[in-house]
Amino acid sequence: ALVMLFSPLPRLRSLLQRCWGQLEHGLLLSFSRGPSPPWGPALAVQAPALLPEPVSVTTESNEVPSLFDSILWMAAPKKRRTIEVNRCRRRNPSKLIKVKRNIDVCPECGNLKQKHVLCGYCYAKVKAETRLIRIEIGKKEGGPFNAPTVETVVLYDGEKPTEKEEGKRIIERARKRPSWFAQD
Amino acid sequence: VLLTGSAWARGLLGWAQPERWLASRSLLPVSCIHASTYLQKSRKWEKKNRIVYPPQLPGEPRRPAEIYHCRRDIKYSHEKMWYLATLIKGMSIDQALAQLEFNDKKGAKVIKEVLLEAQDLAVRNHNVEFKSNLHIAASVTGRGRYVKRIRYHGKGMFGIMKISRCHYFVKLVEGPPPPPEPPKTGFDQAKEYVQQLRNRTLVHTL
Repeated sequence: ALVMLFSPLPRLRSLLQRCWGQLEHGLLLSFSRGPSPPWGPALAVQAPALLPEPVSVTTESNEVPSLFDSILWMAAPKKRRTIEVNRCRRRNPSKLIKVKRNIDVCPECGNLKQKHVLCGYCYAKVKAETRLIRIEIGKKEGGPFNAPTVETVVLYDGEKPTEKEEGKRIIERARKRPSWFAQD
Repeated sequence: VLLTGSAWARGLLGWAQPERWLASRSLLPVSCIHASTYLQKSRKWEKKNRIVYPPQLPGEPRRPAEIYHCRRDIKYSHEKMWYLATLIKGMSIDQALAQLEFNDKKGAKVIKEVLLEAQDLAVRNHNVEFKSNLHIAASVTGRGRYVKRIRYHGKGMFGIMKISRCHYFVKLVEGPPPPPEPPKTGFDQAKEYVQQLRNRTLVHTL
């Protein structure tokens, strides 16, 4: 903390202190007085005291309790929630993360996978290869809306089309056939 | 947090205190008692890896290796990170990595990286033979430095939001994870209570 030493201008200090106190006092008074301050950003408040006045007294008396009255009935916390109460709520077993028991090892690649979900690594592998096949298809078709009405067959290095694949469109891929992509 | 009228005014004027400006303009020497210890970051967890124990005697059981690792200033809330830290508390490292891999939270990815780093450090520097033979002895979160920023609402209103960061600390110990403690039964609690009553001594008597 700062050490306040004896200043050589005591009269100036006391004068400034008095002025400052008056300024603070005036500001506090102005806020407690009016509904909206003349300067500064507008702030959202819960209390009804700072709401704008209703349009006219006659319309309010005819209607059922309008917005002005129902504001007083809004729910608001009465007391601060203690840290003990907060901890009881946050650390309740229902809120803790549960341990998953459906994790297995993928027999193909050896990574972890969930029982009801495809293995992420194997899926990424297949996705990458599919993307390359689609690029080849795109090159063959040349543009949009050129898809033929026949089936497509993907052949890898050193594979010849058999008599079963006569009328089908053939896509060549310049690599060895992956083990997971069986022929027929 | 939106401030009400007078609190906002007091907050505005709070930063300006003219008595403080004038007090500094004195001819006598000012002894500055700014210690500013709060500005120094506490970095004890990193130092824990440096302790060296004296060599063990031949008859003693082997002391299991301990590896301390942490990551600082993770852009996540320390309350949210706490849930993940308690999830993996007493598990073996493989089980912990499995659980974190299939968890959807942002902190799960960060903690997984930290655990893999720590496992790597253990094998390289701390003479751990099998990288699966580790379990998590302690996993703790702490809050990092917060910064306050303005969040702009409609109609010229504003709120002050805090950008929170957290630290994550983990201690790996060699060996299989300890068996989980059985939950305390009512019978055990009653036995303890009776034992407490029996331990009482009579004071100021013969």
